[in-house]
Amino acid sequence: MDIKDIIFKIIVGLSAVFYYLYSLVISKQVKIMNKTLEDEHNRLILLVSTLQVTVALIILIIALLSIFIF
Amino acid sequence: MENNNKKSQAFYSYCINPKTKFDTQEEGEIIYLLLRSHPFTQIGWIFSSIVLIILLFVLNFFLQNFFNPGQIFIINLFFVVFIFSYIWFNVLNWYFNVGIITSKRVIDVDFYAVLYKEITNAQLGRIEDITVKSGGYIESFFDYGSIFVQTAGTEANVEFINVPHPSDAVQMINKLMSKKHGY
Repeated sequence: MDIKDIIFKIIVGLSAVFYYLYSLVISKQVKIMNKTLEDEHNRLILLVSTLQVTVALIILIIALLSIFIF
Repeated sequence: MENNNKKSQAFYSYCINPKTKFDTQEEGEIIYLLLRSHPFTQIGWIFSSIVLIILLFVLNFFLQNFFNPGQIFIINLFFVVFIFSYIWFNVLNWYFNVGIITSKRVIDVDFYAVLYKEITNAQLGRIEDITVKSGGYIESFFDYGSIFVQTAGTEANVEFINVPHPSDAVQMINKLMSKKHGY
């Protein structure tokens, strides 16, 4: 494995962790926003934000797999 | 209060009698008008998103020279997720920054960068002066502008920035104030 691959994997790993944390914060904030302003679109907004957290988790798993297995 | 469906449908930026509740709503308090920034003012981030999507396609031509297929897949994945997050962040910012006119007060709900919450309200009876600022070709063409509500004493002033049909909104506030004062 050359230095380029190592740097790539470190960047990917860190980005995945930060993105997951970011999605958690946004998800938490969306709940606060929904509480502040309740309307007919709240469910959809919550669904999209949950989807974002799920995608972030999948990306984190892919990143960890690419670091430790591939 | 009259209901104008045409204006209510302006991308949810000018909603008359909306089916909305807010957390500090008092019992018997009716929401007459809910305002968001005019959709045209969101053009900046929409354009940036389109540029980022185009950039992703262009970038793929060059990535083949430097990375293997697995790495290209991961770069694309991160890029797509970044674009989506950027769009979602801006949608949330637009959707939850609202101005509300109720039967009792005028409320400005602001979420700065999604994370910081600020709610300012002015009781209808405490409003001293309302200013509408709308100027320039684009603002006149799309009929949007800013409303500044000044209150008596030390109460914070309420601002609705770049909202559609500002004159109509002010007219509604004036009507409610007259009702409140019994003119």
